[in-house]
Amino acid sequence: MKNALFAAVAALSVTAMTPVQAVERGGTLTFARYDDSTLIDPIYADRNPDIWMVSNLYDTLLRTEADGKTVIPGLASSYSLSEDGLELKMTLREGIQFSDGTAIEAQDVIFSLERARNPDLGPWSGLLGSVENVTAEGRDITITLKNPDPTIVLMLATFNTAIVSKDAFDAAAGATDQEKAQALSTASPVGSGPFVLTDHQRGASMNFVANKHYWRQGEDGQPLPYLDAIDFLVIPDDATRILKLQAGEVDAAEFIPFARVAELKDDANINMELFPSTRIIYSPINTREKTANGENNILASKEARQALNYATNKEALIQLILHGAGKPMTSGLMASTTQLATGTEPLYQYDLDKAKALAAKAGIQPGTEISLTTLAGSADDAIIFTALQQMWSQIGIKLSVEQVDGATRGAKNRSGEFDIHTYGWVNDVNDPAQVAGWLGYYPTRKAVGTDWNNAEFNSLYEASNKEINQEKRAEQYAKMQTLYAEEAPLIFMYETPFAVALGNRVQGYIQTPLGSNEFSSTWIDQ
Amino acid sequence: MSSLTYLFSRLLQMIPTFILVMIIIFLLVRLLPGDPAIAMADAKATEAQLEALRQRLGLNEPLWTQFFYFVRNVLAGDLGQSILLKAPVADVILERLPVTVFLTLYAVLFSILIAGPLAAVAALNKNRRADIIIRGLFQVGLSTPVFYIGLLLLTFLAAFLRWFPVGGYGQTFWQHMYHLLLPALTVALYTSAIIMRNLRSAIIEVIDAEYVQFARAKGLSEGLILRRHVLRNALVSTVTLLGLSIGNLMSGTLVTETVFAVPGVGRLMLDAIFARDYPLIQGLTLTFAVLVSLVFLLTDMIQSWLDPRLRPS
Repeated sequence: MKNALFAAVAALSVTAMTPVQAVERGGTLTFARYDDSTLIDPIYADRNPDIWMVSNLYDTLLRTEADGKTVIPGLASSYSLSEDGLELKMTLREGIQFSDGTAIEAQDVIFSLERARNPDLGPWSGLLGSVENVTAEGRDITITLKNPDPTIVLMLATFNTAIVSKDAFDAAAGATDQEKAQALSTASPVGSGPFVLTDHQRGASMNFVANKHYWRQGEDGQPLPYLDAIDFLVIPDDATRILKLQAGEVDAAEFIPFARVAELKDDANINMELFPSTRIIYSPINTREKTANGENNILASKEARQALNYATNKEALIQLILHGAGKPMTSGLMASTTQLATGTEPLYQYDLDKAKALAAKAGIQPGTEISLTTLAGSADDAIIFTALQQMWSQIGIKLSVEQVDGATRGAKNRSGEFDIHTYGWVNDVNDPAQVAGWLGYYPTRKAVGTDWNNAEFNSLYEASNKEINQEKRAEQYAKMQTLYAEEAPLIFMYETPFAVALGNRVQGYIQTPLGSNEFSSTWIDQ
Repeated sequence: MSSLTYLFSRLLQMIPTFILVMIIIFLLVRLLPGDPAIAMADAKATEAQLEALRQRLGLNEPLWTQFFYFVRNVLAGDLGQSILLKAPVADVILERLPVTVFLTLYAVLFSILIAGPLAAVAALNKNRRADIIIRGLFQVGLSTPVFYIGLLLLTFLAAFLRWFPVGGYGQTFWQHMYHLLLPALTVALYTSAIIMRNLRSAIIEVIDAEYVQFARAKGLSEGLILRRHVLRNALVSTVTLLGLSIGNLMSGTLVTETVFAVPGVGRLMLDAIFARDYPLIQGLTLTFAVLVSLVFLLTDMIQSWLDPRLRPS
């Protein structure tokens, strides 16, 4: 609470100091993307270029502030969770409409949530696994839960529970729900978000226009969004995307390679933004007793894994790969931007003496061979390998490389045919349960393929998923993070921001820590 | 045999080619390492979700059953559903193929316009200064990677001088011509280097032939001799080469399309392979096979028109 107060005061004083520039309305923003969307539908969005666009076309019942942590009302004007945590009541805002002017009603909410939790449809239904049923009386919506679920409030502020129009779906062509979603997005998109998709040339371009019926107000007291339209251009090549911005043909370019960040920061016409993200770069370690070819696995020992972590100079990696635009992981289990993340000091700060002592304890002999599986063609992975090879040789490890493509790496992660491999992660939801489940909870995916199976961690995780007392849950998370860091089933590497280069005229654009591209408050200084 | 029956017999000959191509495509895709279901699904997918995907794609069926379904569907014009793009493969290819065909034809046009006159000049000035300069320049073109030339052109002509847009495709025909000029030129610089060398030596060979000397003795003008006697004969091998390099060109557009953000099938192929999108890879490879076969057929037709001796008797 003290922190929140301090943050509020700090925010106020910053606002007071910066001269307030009145927003301007109108204009079309041209945005260069690294990849195209395929199907921007709340429940079928499964790739980042889709997931990160959903909030522009579909609104959720609840929202989060820009920090991604504080929940605020959305299409629902209020919400309350019952004492026992088994009933969530919400009231749907009055007078809200879809982009075609029809009213957003309780039936749309029920339809959208039923769709979102149907395991036969999209890949995200598990996020609503605690929901027993959804009912409505007038504009009052009640979600009844099977068991208390601390994540439910945040889930209603997550893309997969965004509200779609039942009537539009019923009217759309197609036999299955996915065909209907497809038809709806190409033929006659109807949404609840600040923009409407008007045209999509697969692999080339996509156009959004402002939703005239959108409910949220801008700073000037008029409905958002400020922009008339957004034109997205798909430009997969990094160098071309930057050239396009420098030539003034686009207003913004995303996914700027870190090697180019300093140069663009010096460009007076460009505002180089590094948005804090939940993205972490780490390397899972195979902790099985035996390697895939039946030999004893030295990495099954905790001390060996700790030795590798101490022998890894994260600051050096950050300089080499991110040109300084990143920071070492401070929580083993998640990026520091995630809710309930603990730890302020970098994990396993480079310490060769400790590394050597631990290596000796683990029985690592000089010349011990370990293989690092990397992505073929990835410049970052090539640097990681060369750096680790040199760093780990100090504790007697002979690191070899195995280069594979993404599909093969994924298969190896599942089959356990690796020693250590490179990997990365960005949270899709605001609650830490997703990333903690991914990295540490054995039943999800064998703790990101490491086969690390810790009974204490698993039971803490299970308990935390039912704990609605936030303080107790935070304690459980603190314990899980300490335990995970101590056990080190990963090489903990670094967190990276989202690098987006904006032309000087562009104001108010945000990429959230989850990666979502937020254009609702973006405006062009004409 | 008339030209028409020749064409027909050639078309018939293409059928076994396609059967072979289908078998090879089918097997090659399945030889790629890594479980396709894992590649296609998200890393977060659970075992149950993977199993459902394998079931949906028929990956659990025996190979020959899968092949049977593949052939049956292709014959029915159904190339399946792209996993990556969540859309019918045929639709996706039809949307993006014209872009690549446009770019390829544009590049061929440039190659001919660049290589033809320069080859003639070089051949007629054999081993003199003009010849050496032309050959030297093309040697540079041939040994520089395509993406690098592309980036140089983009940086200088588009971003710096602003004469051209930085990548893209445009909406209308003339916008396509404008947007694709630099990518077509990039591709053409490479192809024209190969064609120029070939055409130059062919001209040098023909120019001393007896029938050319005879034409000269008849008192025909040098221009007429070059057009009617020299080029026509020299072109036979060059047309073959051009035909062969169109196959290369179509696949070579992959790099160019990525650098210039051109939404063609080359770039799509790359995405499809990385995502192990079986239906899309199969559909694209089949399309490439059909196109290349058609180009070879066209090459043969042009050759037999250029050189009547090549016509089947």
